[in-house]
Amino acid sequence: MGLVNCDVAAQTVTGSFLFRLTVSDTNPTPANLQTSEQKNNQHPDQVKGFGKEFGLAFVTVFLAELGDKTQLSTLLMTAESQSPWIIFLGAAAALVTTSLCGVLIGQWLARRVSENVLNTVTGASLLFISILLIWDTVNL
Amino acid sequence: MDWNLLGLSFVVVFLAELGDKSQLAAITLSGNCQHPRAIFLGTSSALIFASLLGVLLGEGVGQLLPTHLMKAIAAIGFALLGISFLWSSNEEPEA
Repeated sequence: MGLVNCDVAAQTVTGSFLFRLTVSDTNPTPANLQTSEQKNNQHPDQVKGFGKEFGLAFVTVFLAELGDKTQLSTLLMTAESQSPWIIFLGAAAALVTTSLCGVLIGQWLARRVSENVLNTVTGASLLFISILLIWDTVNL
Repeated sequence: MDWNLLGLSFVVVFLAELGDKSQLAAITLSGNCQHPRAIFLGTSSALIFASLLGVLLGEGVGQLLPTHLMKAIAAIGFALLGISFLWSSNEEPEA
């Protein structure tokens, strides 16, 4: 995908700036892919995996958060104040920050724990999350 | 722009979410995946969408979407994921 972008940009007359932009945009991705996974030229698979993992994260977290205490507190604050969009902005920024923290912690753990241990811990904590959700369902 | 209100909602939601199950999910999913950015984008957009629904619909969200059913579906999904991860860690003792 990056290569196609470069070609198109190079053929335009005013494309020098654009060309530089696309190159600097595409540079980090192959470098990251090579250092983190040691796989070359598997773009379709990479994109598919990206979409799959995005969808997995989105669906599970969305279903888990629906009617959760965060949503309820956002709702309460919105009802009390006259400016719902400021509440929404603050809540959204906080949620992005916490999930960024979560991903960084996960990456940090993945670097120091072996894959086998990580799989076990992941399985156990996902089961723990499902127990929390069942608890919520019963007590709601 | 009411910075007080913005700060208040940020702090409340940040503290409520810290160590909550969605953050736990972000930690565990990103530890095992090949695209941490996908997990970050997926979890944060799901959270933003959920709170957007909360803001837009107010108390109607409970009536519109059966929360019990959604949570039950999510619980089953998480349980299946957890079992599949435990399964794969048993299948590959080395590594």
